[in-house]
Order: sequence, then structure tokens, then C-alpha cells
Amino acid sequence: MQPLTRERTTAPGEAPAPRRSRQPLTSAPAPARTLWPYLLIAPAVLGTLYLLVHPLLRALLISLQDFGLRQLILGDAEFVGLENYRTLLTDPRFWEVVRRTFVFMAINVALIMVISTLVALMVERLGRFGRTMVLSALVLAWAMPVIAATTVFQWLFHSEFGVVNRSLRSLGLDSFDRYTWFASGPASFAILVLLIVWQSVPFAAITLYSALTTVPAELHESARIDGAGARRIFRSITFPMIRPIFMLVLSLEVIWTFKAFVQIWVMTRGGPGDATTILPVYAVQTALSAQHYDLGAAASMVTVVLMSGVLVAYFRQMYKQEAEL
Amino acid sequence: MTRSRIRRIPLDAAAVLTVLVCLFPVYWMIATAFRPTGDIQSANPRLIPYTWTLEHFRTAVDADGFALFWRNSILVTASAVLLALVVALGAAFAVARLRWSGRRQFMLMVFIAQMAPWESLIIPIYIISRDTDMLDRLPTLTLVYFMITLPFTIVVLRGFLGTIPPELEESAQVDGCTRLGAFRRIAFPLLAPGLMATSLFGYITAWNEFAYANFLIIKQQDSRTLPVWLSSFQNTFGTDWGATMAASTLFALPALAIFLILQRHVTSGFASGAVKG
Amino acid sequence: MKLRLLAWVSVCAVTAGLSACGSSGGAESGRTTIDVWLMRDSVSTEFQKDFVKGFETAHPDIKVRIQIQEWDGIGEKVTAALASNDAPDVIEAGNTQVAQFAAGGGLADLSDEVGELGGKDWLKGLAEPGSYEGKQYGIPYYAANRVVIHRTDLFEKAGIDPAEIKTRAQWTAATEKLDEGGTQGIYLPGQMWYALAGFVWDEGGDLATESGGAWQGALDTPEAIRGMEFYKELQALGKGPKDSDEDDPPQADVMAKGDVAQIISTPGGAKVITEANPELEGKLGFFPIPGKSASKPGAVFTGGSDLVVPAASAHQDAARTFVKELTGDTWQKKLAVAMSYVPNKTTLADAVADDPGAAAMAAGAAENSHATPNTPAWAAVEAENPIKDYMTAVITGGSAESEAKKASEAITRAMNAGS
Repeated sequence: MQPLTRERTTAPGEAPAPRRSRQPLTSAPAPARTLWPYLLIAPAVLGTLYLLVHPLLRALLISLQDFGLRQLILGDAEFVGLENYRTLLTDPRFWEVVRRTFVFMAINVALIMVISTLVALMVERLGRFGRTMVLSALVLAWAMPVIAATTVFQWLFHSEFGVVNRSLRSLGLDSFDRYTWFASGPASFAILVLLIVWQSVPFAAITLYSALTTVPAELHESARIDGAGARRIFRSITFPMIRPIFMLVLSLEVIWTFKAFVQIWVMTRGGPGDATTILPVYAVQTALSAQHYDLGAAASMVTVVLMSGVLVAYFRQMYKQEAEL
Repeated sequence: MTRSRIRRIPLDAAAVLTVLVCLFPVYWMIATAFRPTGDIQSANPRLIPYTWTLEHFRTAVDADGFALFWRNSILVTASAVLLALVVALGAAFAVARLRWSGRRQFMLMVFIAQMAPWESLIIPIYIISRDTDMLDRLPTLTLVYFMITLPFTIVVLRGFLGTIPPELEESAQVDGCTRLGAFRRIAFPLLAPGLMATSLFGYITAWNEFAYANFLIIKQQDSRTLPVWLSSFQNTFGTDWGATMAASTLFALPALAIFLILQRHVTSGFASGAVKG
Repeated sequence: MKLRLLAWVSVCAVTAGLSACGSSGGAESGRTTIDVWLMRDSVSTEFQKDFVKGFETAHPDIKVRIQIQEWDGIGEKVTAALASNDAPDVIEAGNTQVAQFAAGGGLADLSDEVGELGGKDWLKGLAEPGSYEGKQYGIPYYAANRVVIHRTDLFEKAGIDPAEIKTRAQWTAATEKLDEGGTQGIYLPGQMWYALAGFVWDEGGDLATESGGAWQGALDTPEAIRGMEFYKELQALGKGPKDSDEDDPPQADVMAKGDVAQIISTPGGAKVITEANPELEGKLGFFPIPGKSASKPGAVFTGGSDLVVPAASAHQDAARTFVKELTGDTWQKKLAVAMSYVPNKTTLADAVADDPGAAAMAAGAAENSHATPNTPAWAAVEAENPIKDYMTAVITGGSAESEAKKASEAITRAMNAGS
């Protein structure tokens, strides 16, 4: 039995395989004049309009108003134009948060992509038993609910009874006796990176591994006969083949780490100081804790714009690809 | 023989390391949950507890409203996931199998919807729910979770559909089935594993969600869900890491179980071999 | 087949989900049900039961449903409740929070109850923060300030007479003596900022100062830094965690384990300790937090709660009845005795006259009571709490001056942001 090895071959996204057979066949039936496709997407579109676009517009509206606790309760908000954006964009603290968000995202995504590619390559080379073990372990880590995982990480790094401090101490590092990880900005930041990488690698690794299995073995063989080294094979044969999936995973991870919120909120609330405050945390702090709903809404609008900026290249490519299908 | 074995050592070591790193936090959670309190707070924690106890689980289960919140969570999660699956299936079929103008725009919308800043939409959604008298109700949560999981579900389902060759359906159509009939008879059974795999993701997201559950369920404490319970549990039983870990274990258990169960289904579905493409 | 099954299951689950609305409160066979939010551990379960029973007997037309809320994230929770159409009917709010909610327009004006309740005798520390622009929104519920709870047996063994501890110097000397072997001289978590506030006030400093309508963080004044230095010195005489406050873990539970000689707590903490560990019954004593000189006890923060009625409550009359009953003389006396609180009126102080904890508390409250800055903006500081980060930073070895500067800037920013 090879649990999961096949399943993922086809998993998320545009596996390169189907495109070969698709074009001549699908274009044959169904001229565009039918109502069917529109009926089929109607629930999705209506749901999105009411449950996503509507609140988003509402948030946009709030970001243009003077909207605090009083307006939330009594509902007589006044328009102030771009005043909130001006306040936000001239606040050095906000730019510090933006910078931190990008650093956080870059570190996480780089680690996730490197580690999961390595894990995927490793799984491909393992025997059946090893593969089953590693894949099952990955699945279990993946299935761990975020809140439970975050709680467990807090416990691992607990200053008094945490297993990390005790292990370090038993290795003779006495300075870790009751070391308070969450009191230090860089340490909290590092623990959050560790947690997010730990949670994200399974999805990425399994998806990449399934993409790897679609690369025909003969290609490797012939390349090896031609005397290409392992690194060379990966660069010029394997990677180009899994590139579409790699890009999909990469952009999903960018989105997910950019929006990482629950882990940070539960673990540090953005502290100590501002050390782990990234944009979504900042928006929630400003809106819910400090009750400046207007500034919080403006911050999240800016977040969306920044994130789109990062992903615009990807969207363009995807849009082109869709045209080909 | 021996040489290849030696060459494999780094690889095997890496595999063992991966397994350990993945499993340790999960293991430590469960092990702490079963450990007597004295052992938890001893100076030298043992990797495997000496004695096992169910006391922490008792504390967790006896806490107020545990069964109720469990039921709420399952209800909300299951309805959100199923709703998302049904809606996404239609959309994915339209995108993967039909040609129509606006298809590219639709997929772009789906991708962009993935970026929705849900944390910041709490206030607008709160206002909208208040004005439509939907506060304090589980269906509101269901709808929000449905929308959070929908874009990803569409993307993944379309990916799965793409792997099922349309030839299969076309041959059925030749045999006299309608387009949808062919899809239902031929593609759907092949897609079932895909549906299950997809539901896992939605399930995990909805099962975990905390911010909305905390903010939209205000007065009806009976409508709380497990993540909110877990967080208030931590407040109440702060020092009691054993009980907190037991609660976390109980919370994580359905996710771990469903992943393992569905993993088998998914595998067997693909093992039938019809989907080699 | 599979499709049909799936479709059927999904329809069932969706309809079940959509129809499973919580049962709505309200009238039930002629009785009004009111929802009351009280804070975790503000009253004991026993008192709560007694009160509800007594109340429902006296007012058979009202049914009380009490929900216990956590302090963590309470500001957001109350905000959500106040802005909703169907708010709870009575909410216990920390005295420093009321102004903010009143300014937001979410509370019912209870000014016309003041006379009947004898408001002229209310404790100022509760009544003043409960009013906003001349109207009374919060009705004083209870007050408490911190004292030192100590283990009489450990003190005796070390040959220390707690009655002799009148100054800080004597206090640290005694604590040092106690902090020996397996015993912690004092369990002081690193982020107990109300205790820090007391030390800062003792030195003549403050948390924030106002000039010309603008508030400014004041932790970086030399006085405030001296307060922090004393906190650090004291904190080192035990094993209190440097990175958490008194609720995490609950310090009463820690003391209940038996190896802690002192904690700084409201006197009610003693009950929690003996409940958790009955062996400590009779071994706990109280003394006021010592001041800089023997002539004046240490400054204390008068903490406490007010009861408020949300404007959106559907049962205003029943809610007022509830508030009047719980803040009225009869139950206030019982509450003060049950929880070792200061009753909400100065005239009721006799009720706890022979309670040693209350006596220690009264010494501080009478001579050196302080409050956090009285402005709606202060709640934003507490929500973010840069003071806690500051304390941890200094205790773990950071420079007091530069950390204090950072914290003061954060306070200034939080208090003046927007509005």
C-alpha cells in the first residue's frame, strides 16, 4: 500500500498532465450560447458578492469615515475622505510593521519552499516503508489544528516546564534555565517562524512530491546516461516540469504567511513590544483593541493592495494560462 | 550491497529526522495529556511517561459545556464544508468542462478571493449580521466559513477535474447520456476521492476558526464553538498544562482521525486505476 | 448512488446548521429572563448561587441567567455586546473601562437611581470613573486593593514578625531571609503592573500625565524608574515567571502549592488559596504593602468593578432591579464578607471590620489610594499594555532608561491615537 503517493499526483492546481489531451476534445461540444455555465457558477458568484464583496465594500466605506466605538454603536459615521489613509501612511510605526511583514513573509516562504522541496525530493528516493512513514508523519502534522499546534508550541517553549529549556539545560547550557523565550522579540519571532514553517511544510511537500511523481523516470535515466549530475538534472529537467505546481504552492504560501494571524494572536498578540506585529495583527490591534475601526479598515485595504502587488506577476501568468486551456 | 547501503544512510537519517520533527509536537501534546501532574512539572521530563492517567481528560470533559460546543463545532464545520463542496463542484465543472466567456475572469476572481483579509472583515460582517439580525447564530458562522473555504475548494476541485479525461464522459454521451448525466455517472465517482481530499482543507479551516466565533457569538454562550472554548479553557486552567493539552488533544482528535480515514479512501479511489490519465 | 447520498447528507447538514439557532432568551411563561455578565472569579460560586436564589425569591417575575466572562479580551467582547441589538442586560465592567463605553454611547444613563441607592456615600474610586459628563453610567459594585498575603508559619519559623514590617527596607530584608531553600520569599510575576504602579506612585511618579489636554506616558521619569528598580529587586526574591502576569498561572494556585511565603494580592486571594489547599487554612495573614517610610503605607491602586446596563438591553427595568439589588446595602454587606471586598459605600465599612484581610486593605485604601488616569483613552493602554512588556524587558536585563522611554512613547501613542 502506498497511502497518499498517488492521491496527490493530481492534487491541487494545474497538473501538467491533462493539458496534452484536452484542447482538441473539450472545444468540440458546447458553443458558448448556453446558460448552463452561468447557472453553475451563480451560487459561487452570489455567495462571493454577498459574503465577501459586500463586507469588503463596507470595510472600504469605513476606511473613508470617522468610525470609532460611538459610530459602531450609534451608527452616524461621517465621511473624512482620505484622512485615515493619511494618518496611517504618515505613521512611521505603520511602515515599520509593513517592513516586518515583508521580512516575516520572505523568511517563512523561503524556508517553506526550500525545506518542502528537499523533503519532496527525499520522499521520492525513499523505499516504500520510509515513504509511507514520512508521508503519514507529514499528514499528521498537517492535520494538527492551528490553535492546538500553537498551544503546544507555547508549552514546548514554556519558561519553567517547557521541554525545550530543559533539554537545552541538560545539554549543559545553563543560561537557558528558565529562559523566557516570549520576552525577547527576536526569540518570539523565531518561534513563530518555526511554528508556521512546521505547519506549512506538509502541504507544500506533499503537493510538490505529487508533482515530482509526474516527471517520467526515463527523462532522468537518459540525462544520467548523458553524464548530468544530480543538481544539473534537478535544474534542467525536474524543476521545469514541476514549475507550475511550484509556482502555485509558492503563491499560496505567500498569501497564507502574509495573512498569518491566528498563530501570532494566540501566542504573542504581536508582542513583546511590536516585535511580532505584522499587518493583519496590526489591523486587528488597531480596530478591535484600540477601537479605531476606521484606521484598522484602512490598514487592511493597504494590506490587500500590497499583497496584490507581490502576486501581480503570478496573476498575470495565471490569466494567460487560463486562456490556453 | 553494503556500499549502496552506506550511501543511503544520509537519506534515511533525513527521513527519520523529518518524521521526528513532524511528530514530536503531536506526540508531546498527547504524552503531556496522559501524564500525571507531578510528572509534568518534574525537573527531568521523561520522553515516555512512567505512569499514565486519564485525570486530565476528565478535567477537560467535565468543564462546562464541552459536549455542546463539540456538537456546535461539528454542525458548523460540516454544513460549511458540504455547502462549499456543492457550490464549488458546480463552478469547477463549469470552468473545467464548459466553454463560456467570462471564464478567465471568474477564475481570476476566485484567486483574488483567496487573498481576502478575513481578520479585518470582522467589523463589517459584524455590522451586516447585526443589521440582518443574524448575530449570535450558528448559521452566520456557517456562511462565513463557507465563504472562507470556497475559493480554495474551487481551485482544488478544478485541479482534480482536470485530471479526469473528458473522453470518458464523451464516450458515455455517445451512449446516449446527457452532458450532466455523463458527468454524474462517469466523472463523479472518480471525483469522490478528490471531493474528500478537498473537504479536508475546508474542514481544518472551519474547525479552527476562532476570531469570528468569538466575536459574532455574543450572548448565546450555548452557541460557542470549540476553539473559543479551548481559549477560555486556557484562561481558566492556566497552570494546568496537563488539562490544557488534554483539551487540545480532544480538539485535534477529529482532525487527525478524519485525515487518516480519508487518506485511505482517497488512496483506494485512485488505486482503482481508472484515473491514470 | 454516491451522488444521491452525498446530496442528501449535505442538504440535511445544511438545513440542520441553518435551523440550529440558539434558543432566544426573553419571556417564558410570564417571567423575564435577564442575562448578566460577571467576570471570572469576581464572586465565588457559592455567593453567586445564594444571590440568584435570594433575588429570584424576592422578584419572582425575573429569572437570572449569569454568564462568566474572561478578563482576557473582555474589551472586544463588551464592545460587541454593546453594539448589538440584543445585548446582555447587566454587565460587570472594570472601573477603568466604564468611561470609554459611556463615551461611545452604549450605556444606559442610570443617574436617576443614584439618590435611591445612596450614591453620596459611594467610594470615589468607583463612582467617579463610572460617571461621564455628569451622568452616572456605572453603579459601584465592589472595590479591592492589593495587600501582602503571607504564610504566618513560615514567618514564624524565620523569626519575623509581620507587624514589624513597615518600610520597604524592612520588607526586602525579611523577604530575603525567607527566600531560602525550597521556599520562595515572594512570588511576584514579572508583569504585575498594578503592583508596579503602586511603587511608582510611592516614588512620586505616575503612569501618564496630562498637560493641555494631551496625555503623555511618564514611565521614563526618574521617579517611575526608581519604582521599577524596586520591583525588579523584589521580583528577584522568588521564582515568579518574568514574562507573565498574576493570572498566568493564577498566583493563588502557585501559593497553594506551599512553597511561597508571600504574594501581592487582593485579600480574596486567600480564600482561593485555602480552597485549593485546605492545609493552609489558618496559616495565612495579611499586611498592607509597606511604603517608603513607616509613616505611610505603600500606594495602592483601587481596583474594582461597576455594574452597567447596556442601552441595547431589552429588559431595562428588570436590569435596573438587578443592579439595585446587588449594589444595595443588604447584599453589599454579604458580598464584602464573602469575598473580603471593600463594600461600595464608606458607610458599610463596618461589615468587614473584623476581617484581617479587609483591615490590611483599608489601611492602604484610606491613606494612599490612587487610580489610573481618568480618561476614556486609558482603556486603549490597558488593551495593548506596553507596561507589561516594559517590565519583562527590564527584569530580563534590559536597560531601564531606554525601555522606559519606549514604553512611555507607546503609552503616549495609545492614549492620543486618532480620536
